[in-house]
Amino acid sequence: MTRRQSDVPSLQARGLVRHFGGLRAVDGVDLAVPPGEVTAVIGPNGAGKSTLFHCLAGAQRPDEGRIRLGERDITRLADHRRARLGIARTFQVVSVFPSLTVADNLRVGAENRTGASATARLLGLPDAARGRTRTAVEAALELVGLTELRDVRCGELPTGTLRLVELGRALASRPSVLLLDEPASGLDDTETGRLRVLLRGLADDGLAVLLVEHDMELVFGVADSVHVMAAGRIVASGPPEQVRENEAARAAYLDPVTGDAHGAADEPPSPSPRPPDDEDPRPLGVRGSQPPDEQGTPRDGER
Amino acid sequence: MLTIDLALAGLAVGAIAALGAVGLITSYRATGVFNLGFGALAMLIAYLLWQQVRVWGWPVVPAALFDVLVVAPAFGLLLERFVFRGLGRRGAGPAEMLAASLGVLVLLLGIAILTWGTESRLDPPTLFETGSIELWGGATVSEAALIDLGVVVGVAVVVAAVTRFTRFGAELRAVVDRRELAELSGVAADRVSAVGWAFGSMLAGLTGILLAPHVRLDPFGLTLLVLETIGVAVAARLASLPVAILVAVAIGVGQSELTRVQLEGKAQNLLQALQSNLFVVVLLLALLLLPRMVEVGSRASYPRVDAGTRTRLPALWWLPYPILLAAPLALGTEHLRSAQQIPALAIVFVSLVILTGYAGQVSLGQAGYAGLGALFAASLMSGKFLGLPEVPGLLALLLATLLVVPVGVLTGYPAIRRRGLALALTTFAVAVVVSRFVFAQPMFTTGLRLDHPWPFSGERSFYVLELVCLGLTLLLVRRLHTGRLGRMLVATRDSEGGAAASGVDVPGLKVFVFAVSAGVAGLGGALMGMSGRAFDAQTFDPLVGLIWFAAVVVFGVDSAAGAVLAAALIVGLDSGTRAGVSTIVIGAGAVLLSRMPGGALATARRLLGPLWTEDPEAGSGLRPGWGAVRLTPAGEALRGRVRRRAATAAAAAGGSGAVGAGAAGAGIGAATEVAARDGGRP
Repeated sequence: MTRRQSDVPSLQARGLVRHFGGLRAVDGVDLAVPPGEVTAVIGPNGAGKSTLFHCLAGAQRPDEGRIRLGERDITRLADHRRARLGIARTFQVVSVFPSLTVADNLRVGAENRTGASATARLLGLPDAARGRTRTAVEAALELVGLTELRDVRCGELPTGTLRLVELGRALASRPSVLLLDEPASGLDDTETGRLRVLLRGLADDGLAVLLVEHDMELVFGVADSVHVMAAGRIVASGPPEQVRENEAARAAYLDPVTGDAHGAADEPPSPSPRPPDDEDPRPLGVRGSQPPDEQGTPRDGER
Repeated sequence: MLTIDLALAGLAVGAIAALGAVGLITSYRATGVFNLGFGALAMLIAYLLWQQVRVWGWPVVPAALFDVLVVAPAFGLLLERFVFRGLGRRGAGPAEMLAASLGVLVLLLGIAILTWGTESRLDPPTLFETGSIELWGGATVSEAALIDLGVVVGVAVVVAAVTRFTRFGAELRAVVDRRELAELSGVAADRVSAVGWAFGSMLAGLTGILLAPHVRLDPFGLTLLVLETIGVAVAARLASLPVAILVAVAIGVGQSELTRVQLEGKAQNLLQALQSNLFVVVLLLALLLLPRMVEVGSRASYPRVDAGTRTRLPALWWLPYPILLAAPLALGTEHLRSAQQIPALAIVFVSLVILTGYAGQVSLGQAGYAGLGALFAASLMSGKFLGLPEVPGLLALLLATLLVVPVGVLTGYPAIRRRGLALALTTFAVAVVVSRFVFAQPMFTTGLRLDHPWPFSGERSFYVLELVCLGLTLLLVRRLHTGRLGRMLVATRDSEGGAAASGVDVPGLKVFVFAVSAGVAGLGGALMGMSGRAFDAQTFDPLVGLIWFAAVVVFGVDSAAGAVLAAALIVGLDSGTRAGVSTIVIGAGAVLLSRMPGGALATARRLLGPLWTEDPEAGSGLRPGWGAVRLTPAGEALRGRVRRRAATAAAAAGGSGAVGAGAAGAGIGAATEVAARDGGRP
C-alpha cells in the first residue's frame, strides 16, 4: 500500500511531561507517528495538544520523556535541527514570510533542509543543492496548487491561501514527518476538502503525518488513528470508528449523543485502557485521488 | 564600610537620577513610547535656564518654574500632537516609535549645538542656596540634596496616588494596555497620552535643571548623563517606581562611597572609571541579567516597508551615485580632505543597513564598533597592540576590521533572546560602556599614530582606496540582500518561528549578522580615523551613534544607496554650514518619518516611480494602512465592489482558493488585485 514506508523513520514520543509551574500541560504522553499514516490528536481547548505539538516540533523542550526519530534521540535537538532531519511543521497562527513571494517562501523551506554555513553564502561559494531545490519547490507548488500565485508576495494573500503556502513550505523541504497544527482553521469547505485529499495522498506516499485539529469532519475523514487528549493525557486511542464509540472519548470531548466535538471537558477524564490496535486501521473509503466532496453538507466539527 | 558624609553627598545625584527614571517610566507607561528624546529635552531646558539667568538676567527661581511648568510640558504636548499621535493611530510598532523619539533627541541636540555651540559652560545656575544642615553625629548634608530627595518622593507619591486611586489612573492603564479597546469604551486616549507627554516632559526639564549644577553644561555630555538614568528605569523593569527610586539612590550613594577605595596602579584607573560610570554599568548589567522588562507591546524587529520595491528603476536613477562619489577627486586638497569622510561614513552606515534594514535588528551601538575599528587600526600602526611590532597601514586596516568581528559576535549573543526596545538599549549600553571604559581611558588612547596607509598616502590615492573599500562593502551587501542568504535574513525578520521551522538556524544567523555588521562598521571607523590622521574619541561618542542610526533610518533603513546619500549629506552640511545644521536636518527628517514611511528614498521612489513604469500599481504598492492613496468614501465602496467581483472571478478560474468566505478587508483586496492582474497576463 505504501511505497517507501520502510525507509521513512517514525516519530515516537515516550512518557512526555511538560509543566508550566504547577500545571502539567502534558502529563505522561506516549505517541507514535508512523510512516504511511495520518495520526490525529483531538481534544478540548487546554487539553495540552499544542504543548505536545510544540514538544514534538522542538519549539519547547519536554521536562521528562524521550522523543525519537527512528533510532535517533532528538529530545534535546533545537527546532531548526529537527527541521533539517526531515520533521516539517506548520503553525496554528500562520507564520509565512510576508515580504517574500510564494515561491521564495517555499524556497526557504527547500534550501535550508541542509545546513549550509552563512559564511560560505557570504563568500559566494557555489551551492551544490541548487538543482534539487528548484525541483522540490516546483513539486511542492504543484501539490498545494499555488503555481499560479508563485510570484505574489505573501503579504498580499488571505489567510486561507497562506495556510497552503505554509504547507507548501513544509513539503518543499521533502520531509519524512509532517506535523500540522490546526491546518484547516481559516479554510473554507472546498479548501478543507482539498486538504483532506492532499493529506491522504501524502500519507499513502509514505509520509508520517500528525494532525492536531478541531475540524472533526477532517479528522474522521482522513485519520488512520485518532488520539483523544484531555487534561494533559491521552484518554482514548484507536481507529476513528472505535474512538467515536469510546466512552472516555465521549466524556472528554465528543458529544455523547452525536459523536460531535463539544469543546469543553467538564469532568476529569478517567484514563482508559488503549483499545486494541491490531485491527485494520483504515476503515474509511477515503483514498488517494477522491475529488473534494459534499459542498453543501453541514460540517460535523464546528467548534 | 559606609560613611555617612559620602552617603549623603551621593544622595543628591541619586535623587536626581531617580527623578529622571520616574519621568521615563511614567511617560513610557502613559504613552507607550520609550522616549529617548527625554535626555535631550532635559539638556535643552537646562540650557534655556542658563540663557535666561546668565544672559538675560532673569531671577533663577521664577525662570526655573516657568521652564519646568510651562515650556517643558508645552513641548511635550507639541510632540504628542504632531509626531506621536499619528504614529500611535497608525499602530506603529515600538521600533518606529523609538526611531521617532530618536529623531526628537537628534533634533533637540542639533538645536542646542546650533544655538549654544559644543563647548561646555561651567556656570549652570543653581536653584537652591548651597547651605548645609548638620545632622546627628556631626555629619552634614547639603540642603539641595534634601530638597532634591523631597521633590522625588513627592513626585513618586503623586504619580502612585493618581494611577492607583483616580479615574484618570484607570483610564491611563486602559490606554496603555490596549489603545483601541480603551477608545471603544469611551476613554479619550489622545487626552490621556497627551497628559503623559506633558508630565514626562516636565520631569525631564526638572531633571535637567537639577542635574546641570552637578556637571558641566554641554550638549552631548548632559544629554548622555540623563540618558544614563535609563539604567535605573530598566532595573525597575520599566514598571516599579519605588524600585527605581531605591536603585537610583543606591547607585548615587555607591558612586560616592567608591571614591574612598584606593587601589594600586592600573586597577585604580579601572576603579575610577567604574566609579564615575556606575549608572552605565548598572544599565548594561540590568539589561543583560534581568529576566524581562515589562514592555508595552512587542514587535520583534524593525518593520520593513514594501513600498517601491516592485518598481523597476531606470538606469538613470543610479547615475548620480558614481558621479557624486567620484566628483571629489576633482577638488582641491582642502575639500578632498573633507570629502574623505564620505566613503568612510557611508561604510559605517551600510553596516547599519545590514543589521537593521536586512536583519531587522535595531542597533544603537554602531559608534562603538566603528570607534574600536579606528582604535585597533591606530594601535596596530603604532606598535601598541599586545606587543606586536608596528604593522603596515593596509594590513592594520584589514586586521582592525577582523578584530572588531569577535566584538560583534560577543554583542550579538544578547540579541538572540532580546528584541525591540531591550535590544536597542543593550546595544546602546554596550557603546556607552566601550566609550567610557576604552575610548576615554588614556592608557588605551595616548601616543597613537594613525595615517593614510602606504601606498595610498596621497590625498587622492587614499580617497580611491576608500572608494574601493566602499565598493567591496556594497558587493558584500548584495550577497546579504539576494540569493539564499538574503532569503534567510528576510525570513528570519518576518517570522523567527517560521524560519526555524524551515531549518534556518535563527540564533546563529543573528550572531552572524551582528559579526558581519560589526566588521563593516570597524572598517568604516578605521577609514574615518585614517582620513583624519588621528583617533578622536569624540567622533565615536555614543550619541553620535544615535545620530547615525537616525540618519540611516531617514534615508531608508534597507537602502544601501540611501546610506551613501546620507553620508554625503552629513559630511557636506558639516563642512559647508555651521555645526549643528546637519544634526537638525537629520533630526527633523526622523521626526517627520511618520509622514514618509520607509524613509526619504522610498518616498521619492513612490512619488517618482510611476513616471517611469508602465505598471499602474507600482506607485501605490503600499501595505494597507500606510495610506498613500486616499479615496473618497464612495471611491472606497466602488473599489471594494470591483475587487470582490474580481475575487470571485479569480477564485472560479484559478482555483487557488484564495478567497475564503470569512476573509475580509485589505488583505483580500490586495490579493485579488494581484490575482486579477496575473490573470490578465498571458
